[in-house]
Amino acid sequence: MAYAGITVVMWGLNGLFMKLGTNRASARSMVIWVTVGFLLLLPFLWAETRLAGLETRVIFVGLFAGAVNGLGNWAVFACLEKGAKASVAIPLTALYPLCTIALATVFLHERPSARQWLGIGLALAGGAMLSYETAPAAAPEEQIHCGR
Amino acid sequence: MQIDSWRFPAWLWYALIGIFLWGLWGFLSKIGADTANPLQMQILFTLGMLPVAGGMLLHTRTKLDRDVGGITYGLLCGVVTGAGTLGYYAALRHQSASVVTPVTGLFPVLTVILAFVLLRERLNKVQMAGMLLALASVVILSI
Repeated sequence: MAYAGITVVMWGLNGLFMKLGTNRASARSMVIWVTVGFLLLLPFLWAETRLAGLETRVIFVGLFAGAVNGLGNWAVFACLEKGAKASVAIPLTALYPLCTIALATVFLHERPSARQWLGIGLALAGGAMLSYETAPAAAPEEQIHCGR
Repeated sequence: MQIDSWRFPAWLWYALIGIFLWGLWGFLSKIGADTANPLQMQILFTLGMLPVAGGMLLHTRTKLDRDVGGITYGLLCGVVTGAGTLGYYAALRHQSASVVTPVTGLFPVLTVILAFVLLRERLNKVQMAGMLLALASVVILSI
């Protein structure tokens, strides 16, 4: 379970870094720097595997998925830039499997199990409650400093 | 607890767009992962992000933020996300997905704790309950 623990720490830290980053740079700039961060890992990935032998269709799907992921990163950075708290935005956007299940249901004709329906219900309720705000989202010490 | 009329904050639109786009990414990954291994998919994701970053670069032109802190956190975001993903796949080699995925799905707990301690963020009671429901759903959906 050590690797799973490392993953929780890395992804958990990412949520904090996303907020700290958008306090100092625009969402668009952050997408650029994050992509550079991903590129830094590319040599390690190339050392382990190659793309040779993959079908053109799979390569296209993977590249398109990467582009969609990049745009998703921009949306979440913009969300944080607009004043969302990291403690709200990160758990809320972690509900994205809900959308994946909906797409798989429509296009792959998969049927959610009873357990997944329970998860969907909890996700919808949790998402609505997380977005419940009665006060300005950004605390004074969290004001955005993107120089725009 | 303060009870005011609920309002639709501007950031929520972006969060919903993010959920949709990441959800679509998950769907596409599901299709691609049928024949490509996780590392190959990670390489393709990285290469696929380049046109988006290029588009953002064209759009920002000379306005690209070069604040050292912003650059550092941006690079760290990319590195820790990628490293976390590699850790996830390494974990899958030792444990079943039904164990690893729900556990790693708990990562927002750490973000919330760090935001509480370091950013002094405070959630209202409704948001706190919502966070717990959301975390429970993330674990259930990932089993």
